[in-house]
Amino acid sequence: MKKLILIPGLILVLFSTTAFSAQPDAKAIIAQAWDYMRGRTSVSEVRMTVHRADWERTSVIKAWTRGLEDSIFQIISPKKDKGNGTLKIGRDMWTYNPKINRVVKIPPSMMSQSWMGSDFSNNDLSKADTILNDYTHEIVGTTRSDGFTVYEIRSLPKPEAPVVWGMQTLKIREDGILLEQAFYDEDMKAVKIMDTSGIVEMDGRPFPEKWTMRSMDADSKEDYTLLEYRNLKFDVPLADHLFTLNALKKTQR
Amino acid sequence: MEILMAWRNVWRNPRRTILTILAIAFACLVLIFMLSVQVGTYEVMINASVKTRTGHIQVIKKGYNKDHKIRQVVSDPESIAKILDQTPHVTAHTFRANAFALLSSDLRTCAGLITGVDPERESKISNIVHTMRKGRFLKPSDTNTAVLGALLAKNLKVNVGDEVVALGSAMDGSVAATVLKVAGIFSSGMDDYDRSAIQIPLPHFQEVFYMENAVHEVVVTCDSLWHVSRVKESLAAALHPKPPAEPTGQDADQGLVCLSWDELTPGLIQSIQMDLGGGLIFYAILLVMVAFSIMNTFVMAVFERTRELGTLLAIGAGPGRLSKMLVLESAFLTLWGITLGILAGCVLTFWFQHTGIPLGGAEGMLKQYGIPGLIRPRLTLATALSGPALVFIITTLTALYPALKVRRLTPVDAMRAV
Amino acid sequence: MNFHMAWRNVWRNPKRTGIILVAIIIGAWTMLAYCALARGVMASSLESALNTLTGHIQIQNPGFREDPAVENRIRNPAPVAALLDHALPKGSCWAFRVQAGGVASNARNSQGITIVGIDPEKEPELSFYGNATAQGRLLEPGDDRGIILGQALLDSFETKIGRKLVLMTQDADRETASRAFKIRGTFRAEMEGTEKQYVFITLAAAQKLLGIGDNVSLACIRLPGRTGQDKAELNPVVEALTRELPRDLTALTWIDLLPLLKGYLGMFDRFMLLWYLVVFIAMAFGLVNTMLMAVLERTREFGLLKALGLTPVRIVKNVLLECLVLLVIGLGAGNLLGVLTIYLFSGGIDMSFMAQGSEFWGLGRLVVPFVTAKDLLSVNAVIMGLGLLVCLYPAVKAAGITPVEAMN
Repeated sequence: MKKLILIPGLILVLFSTTAFSAQPDAKAIIAQAWDYMRGRTSVSEVRMTVHRADWERTSVIKAWTRGLEDSIFQIISPKKDKGNGTLKIGRDMWTYNPKINRVVKIPPSMMSQSWMGSDFSNNDLSKADTILNDYTHEIVGTTRSDGFTVYEIRSLPKPEAPVVWGMQTLKIREDGILLEQAFYDEDMKAVKIMDTSGIVEMDGRPFPEKWTMRSMDADSKEDYTLLEYRNLKFDVPLADHLFTLNALKKTQR
Repeated sequence: MEILMAWRNVWRNPRRTILTILAIAFACLVLIFMLSVQVGTYEVMINASVKTRTGHIQVIKKGYNKDHKIRQVVSDPESIAKILDQTPHVTAHTFRANAFALLSSDLRTCAGLITGVDPERESKISNIVHTMRKGRFLKPSDTNTAVLGALLAKNLKVNVGDEVVALGSAMDGSVAATVLKVAGIFSSGMDDYDRSAIQIPLPHFQEVFYMENAVHEVVVTCDSLWHVSRVKESLAAALHPKPPAEPTGQDADQGLVCLSWDELTPGLIQSIQMDLGGGLIFYAILLVMVAFSIMNTFVMAVFERTRELGTLLAIGAGPGRLSKMLVLESAFLTLWGITLGILAGCVLTFWFQHTGIPLGGAEGMLKQYGIPGLIRPRLTLATALSGPALVFIITTLTALYPALKVRRLTPVDAMRAV
Repeated sequence: MNFHMAWRNVWRNPKRTGIILVAIIIGAWTMLAYCALARGVMASSLESALNTLTGHIQIQNPGFREDPAVENRIRNPAPVAALLDHALPKGSCWAFRVQAGGVASNARNSQGITIVGIDPEKEPELSFYGNATAQGRLLEPGDDRGIILGQALLDSFETKIGRKLVLMTQDADRETASRAFKIRGTFRAEMEGTEKQYVFITLAAAQKLLGIGDNVSLACIRLPGRTGQDKAELNPVVEALTRELPRDLTALTWIDLLPLLKGYLGMFDRFMLLWYLVVFIAMAFGLVNTMLMAVLERTREFGLLKALGLTPVRIVKNVLLECLVLLVIGLGAGNLLGVLTIYLFSGGIDMSFMAQGSEFWGLGRLVVPFVTAKDLLSVNAVIMGLGLLVCLYPAVKAAGITPVEAMN
């Protein structure tokens, strides 16, 4: 049983005591969850399994994040992909391949393409934080799970926001753990659903170990991408030069 | 007896007879020539499309022509090549593999379609080799070398000798990346293709995209368009020797299909049908004109001989015999005309088949459809005979009118006539 | 007097005359009808090309044609606007556009498109944008959140009016720019390719998306009515514009922009003449034959006339006059029939049953057949001129009949 008190970090403690008062604010819940998942900075190692009906592939990725805007990913295995990296600063993304030693900026035309062959698109990465600013949120219900209150939130995009979804629904546990995020089209039909499971303690806080993105498309019912956190550290001091094109070309540790 | 009479009658008015024969011959000549030009044009169009893109026949994984997913592969192309080596009418075959990728030069980045080709075998099939505007086509010794479409080169702002980075997704989902040196720039005349196509040697493609020995397309050309369906049938039979008894087998090549060029480029066949439709209007008008020219002669021939025919009736020749004689007369004219027309038409068509018909200022427009500036009519048995056959039917029908009319003639009326 | 005689002679054998008249009528009729159809096809290709955002003349940055990117834009549009407002012929219209490649996406689909920023008030007169709304409505001035797209694109995105579409592109600073727009309406274009390629937003919205202030990509000009079809009509306008245009801009005509189409249209007149000739020859055999017979069966008559002292020239004249009568009657009826046919189809012939193929040929879907005065003239001139020419043969034959010959 994990308790709120276990959560380290002053900010989160503040959030949990102020925001989660009698009338919880949906946006604050999401902001807290996003902060909870990423911290001010984070360093993690993730095993990514891309599953298709007739094949499966696994790679290990190391990721560094700073705030909600900036991140850098590097593949550490399998060997043939080692060193491939993606840098995201704000909305822009670059990709690097060690074999050819080139950095290429991903043009708008490729943003909706799959990221590293997974069920995540470049856009999913690039626009991961748009949920905070581009949507209006509403708590539509609460349930209980493992002794926690789980907020069910419905987020509708603001009219001009450059998001393709018609709606997102989120299930967030009161301690800030994201349990499910579903993406709907404008007919309010689910297009893809991400859920998390296996909440364990990581870097001193409960964190879901498994993240699964499933496509709801009829012809790809069996397709999913599974992310498994093997290692996770929050609020590690990270040098500014880590989020630069130069850093992308070097193998980080 | 009637034949002799008919023959003599025909030559009673040689001027009219010759003019009529010439009218028929002219119709045949125009029909033969026009049909041959049309067929020649279509063949060039089809061949242009076939040679740049599809080949006559492709063996692919079922659905690949729609989805173009990198995993829809032909995993053992060599076994199909072996079958093809023994299939009659197959002139050449080659393997291709395709992948969409991010192409990037120092200045620009855009999406493109990378095709891995076998430089040696490709040059026997594809006319890209002959449309190189700058530099050269791929050589078997090349590795990370590329030729690309002129419009793509313009978009990327690259020239021969420059580098293009290609980034994509390999067959196993890993990152596929390579730096390509531009060896040549082609312009196939098909803008869509020239805007996105880049070709690299197949072995390098297979290495970069982790394809092992798999390919996406086995491309086949035949010695003639007319043999395509036969080759397709025998190939399909060889691929699926027995009906799929156990659909769950581990056979890697299961789900392969043979598609012919018309299935691979459906717009092409429709545009041909449409042009043929336009041509039919033309032919119909021509035939109607000729029919009236001829009808006049036939009607007159009967008319001015009303007296004579009346006499024949009076001395006991039945109306059936008269009709028969008149039909024979027109048959003489028609056969003469058609023979002459076929001869002249074939000579004319054959002449232009050798020299070609230049199209003046329209080369540019036609190049857009992959048609060279010179059109060569193509004389085939069909183009040489179908026009004249039509003319024969029309003239015979036309001749039937006076021939039947004569049956209503009575000797008395006839004798009173002019 | 002569004419009267010719008229009577022509009707001496009404059956024969009837048949040859039918031949001439059908000849003239089909020449006209075919010509009108072909003209309609040509005009529809040209109109469709001009309509597909080409216009008659465009003012551009010289680099834009080679490389239609944001960099190659008109950075100072105000003087261009002032110039176009006063220097164009009366009845012309023009508008600025912003054009950029981009990607449209929704939850289900994503596709490369060309973003066109337009002036909602002026654009409808300029291009197909204004005349083919399939669903919904066009953009209103100031509607900077609305977007109009092709029906085919709408279908492939499985979306509908009122739904949103996210556009993404690279702005002037080469940064990724994106924004959501609401689908206000859809257009139908003659080619499915056009429907899938262009999406329209307001000029201001496009300028904001690309971060180019008041800059534009080009100015598109449409000359009044049917003018602007050839160089002679275009050049004076282009010259007048070029004189006053800022030095760093250029004026291009549709002939510069679509050289292929020009070549295609250039082939037309030559092809039509060939067509007239073929139809005429087929007709001529009948004509000559008829006249020849008419002459030969009157051998006696001609011999007699000759004996009476009629000169061969007069006889030739007489026979030609008979031909003329035949031709005039035939042409009159043929023209009437032809014009009537064209009138009957003036609503246009729907070529969409061949849509897939007609797209391959760059042909519009609705073809309105028409003929020009020049076409009418050349059809009639060909039949009349060549008709009389071939009738010279029977005429000379008649003139050559000697009285002695005739008596036998």
